Amino acid sequence: MSETVAPHPERAALADLIVELTQAAGEDLLESSSCDDMDELALRPGGLFAVITRLREAGFNLLLDVGGTDHHPLSPRFEISYILTAIPLGDQRDPRRFAGVRRFRLRVFPDDRDPIVPTLSDLWPSANWAEREIFDLFGVRFEGHPEMRRLLNPDDWKGHPLRKDYPLRGLERRFVPGGHTGTVPPVRES
Amino acid sequence: MTLDLTAFENNPDLTLSPGDDRDTLILSMGPQHPSTHGVLRVMLKLDGETVISAEPEIGFLHTGIEKQAENLLWQQAVTVVDRADYLAPLSNSLCYVLAAERLLGIDEQIPQRARVLRVMFAELTRIASHLVWLGTHCLDLGAQSIFFYAFDMRERILSIMEFVTGARMHQSWFRIGGLAIDVPKGFLEKMDDFIDRFPERLRDMRAIVERNVIIVDRLVGIGKISQQEAVDWGLTGPPLRATGIAYDVRRAYPYSGYESYDFDVPTQTGGDCYARFVVRLDEMYQAWRIVKQARERFPGGPVVIDDRKIVPPPKTEIQHSMEALIHHFKLVSSGFNVPEGHIYQSVEGPRGEMGMYVTSAGGNKPWRVRWRPSSFYHTQALKRLAPGNLIADLVAIIGSMDPVFGDVDR
Repeated sequence: MSETVAPHPERAALADLIVELTQAAGEDLLESSSCDDMDELALRPGGLFAVITRLREAGFNLLLDVGGTDHHPLSPRFEISYILTAIPLGDQRDPRRFAGVRRFRLRVFPDDRDPIVPTLSDLWPSANWAEREIFDLFGVRFEGHPEMRRLLNPDDWKGHPLRKDYPLRGLERRFVPGGHTGTVPPVRES
Repeated sequence: MTLDLTAFENNPDLTLSPGDDRDTLILSMGPQHPSTHGVLRVMLKLDGETVISAEPEIGFLHTGIEKQAENLLWQQAVTVVDRADYLAPLSNSLCYVLAAERLLGIDEQIPQRARVLRVMFAELTRIASHLVWLGTHCLDLGAQSIFFYAFDMRERILSIMEFVTGARMHQSWFRIGGLAIDVPKGFLEKMDDFIDRFPERLRDMRAIVERNVIIVDRLVGIGKISQQEAVDWGLTGPPLRATGIAYDVRRAYPYSGYESYDFDVPTQTGGDCYARFVVRLDEMYQAWRIVKQARERFPGGPVVIDDRKIVPPPKTEIQHSMEALIHHFKLVSSGFNVPEGHIYQSVEGPRGEMGMYVTSAGGNKPWRVRWRPSSFYHTQALKRLAPGNLIADLVAIIGSMDPVFGDVDR
C-alpha cells in the first residue's frame, strides 16, 4: 500500500546537508536522528567546529541557544545542546517567509572526567555568555573562550549547582545567625 | 554577589592605561540604579560622558529556578517557571506546559476552550508587559504622564487576571492538560469592557509619545544595530523585528491555534531605539486584535482534557467515586510520569523567542528544563550597543531592549 511521495524540496536539501554534516563529523559522530521538533546530530566535541561551520554556511545563522544537561549517573554525563535557526537576511518584512523556518540541533557529549568543548564565541558573540553560564552551572570548560569565569554565581562560589550531585539546598549553609558558616551535611531531598 | 573588581583587572577594555587622559573614568553603574530596570550592573569605561566600552554584569537575581524545577513534580514546576520572567508569567508557563504536553503526546487533545483562553491570556500578558515597558522606558527618558496612562490600562488587565485566576502576577493558571479552573461568571463583561476601552487609550498613548519631539530626538539613531549583527548577537522578538526581519514564533511555529488568528507582524527597518519603540507600540494593537478574535470565538466545553492519569477529577466526583479518589491521591502525592525524551518548544514572549529545552528521563519530575531567555541575549548585546553613546543614551538603550532580570538570571 505504501506510495512513494516525492520529498519536499527543502526536506531533500536538508537530507543532503545531513549527509554532508555526518561526513564533516567523521569519527566524532555519535548519532543522527530526526526528532519530533527538529533534526539533530549527536557528536563528540572534536567534530563540533567542522559541523557547525558547515551549518552556518548552509544558512543556519542564528544560534538560538546553548544549553547544558547533566545525565548523571549515566555516561556520557554532560550534554551541551546547540539550537540553530536559519533566518534569511535582507528585506524580510513578510512573516509568511518564516513559516516553518528551519531549525537544527546539535548535542555534544564531552568527556565525563574532564569536560572540554571548543568555544563558539568567535563565530557568534551570543555564545559568549551562554558558554560562561554552562561553565558556572555545570563546570564544563570551553576551550579558547576569552573569559572563562562564572556568570550567574559569585566568583568565589564552590561547586556547580546544576550538576545532579549538587544538593538542592547548596553545599554549605551561608547566612547562619550566630556566625557559624562551617560545612554542614547536605539537606536530603525526597 | 561579591563586588569584586579584580575580575576586570585582566580586561584591557575596562582598565585605565597610561595613555588615557584625565577625562577617562571607570564607572560601575548599578546594580541599584533606577534605570537599569532591576538589578543590572554595567561596568563602563568613559571618556567624559561618552561610553568607550561596557561590560554588563548579571546574576544578582539568580534564584536557581531551573534547579528548583528539576526537584518538583511536572505539574508543580509550573509555579516556578512562572516566576522567571515576572512581567510575562503566563507566557513562561505556556511554553512549559506546551513542551510537557508534547512529551506526553496529548498536545492534540487540549480542548478548544482551553486553547482560546490560553491565546487570549498570553496576548493580555503581552499587552501588560509592553505597558510596563512603555511607562518605565518613557519615565527613563523624562516623560512622566505616560506612565499613569500605561499603568492604568495594566491595572485593568491585572484585575481581569485576578478575577479569573485569583492572582495578579504569578497566576500559574495554565496547567499540563489545560487550565487550572474555568473562567468565572461575569468574565465576558469584564473582557468586553477592556476590549472596548483599550484601542482608544492606546491611541491616546501613541498621540502623547510617538511624535513627541523629545522622545524622537532621544531615540532616533541611538543604539543602531544591523540585521547581520542582530542575528549574530542572538536577538529575537521586537529588537530583531526592528531591523526588518519579520521572524515571529507565532507565525514560524504556530502553537495553541495561532495559525487561525488574523494578525500582522509589525516590523521597522531602522534597527535603532525608535524602531524598537514603534514595533512594540504596534504589537500592542496586534495583540488587542488577537484578544478580540479570541473573545469572538470563545467556544464552550471543558477546559481540561479527559484523562484522569494527568488531570485530577472534579471535586464533586471525588466525594462519590472511589476510583476518582485514588486518581486524585496519586496525582497529588506522586504526580504522573512523562515518557523519556527531549524537546525544544518555544513561544513568542513579549521580549522575544522564549524557548525551553525540556528533557524527561521518564520520571515524575522534569530531568532538566533549560530556559532560552531572550532577555539574557538582549542584555549581552549591550556590549555591542553601548560603546560610542552617551551615558544618558545608554539608559535609553537598556530601556529599548526591555530586559527583565528575572528572565536574565533565573
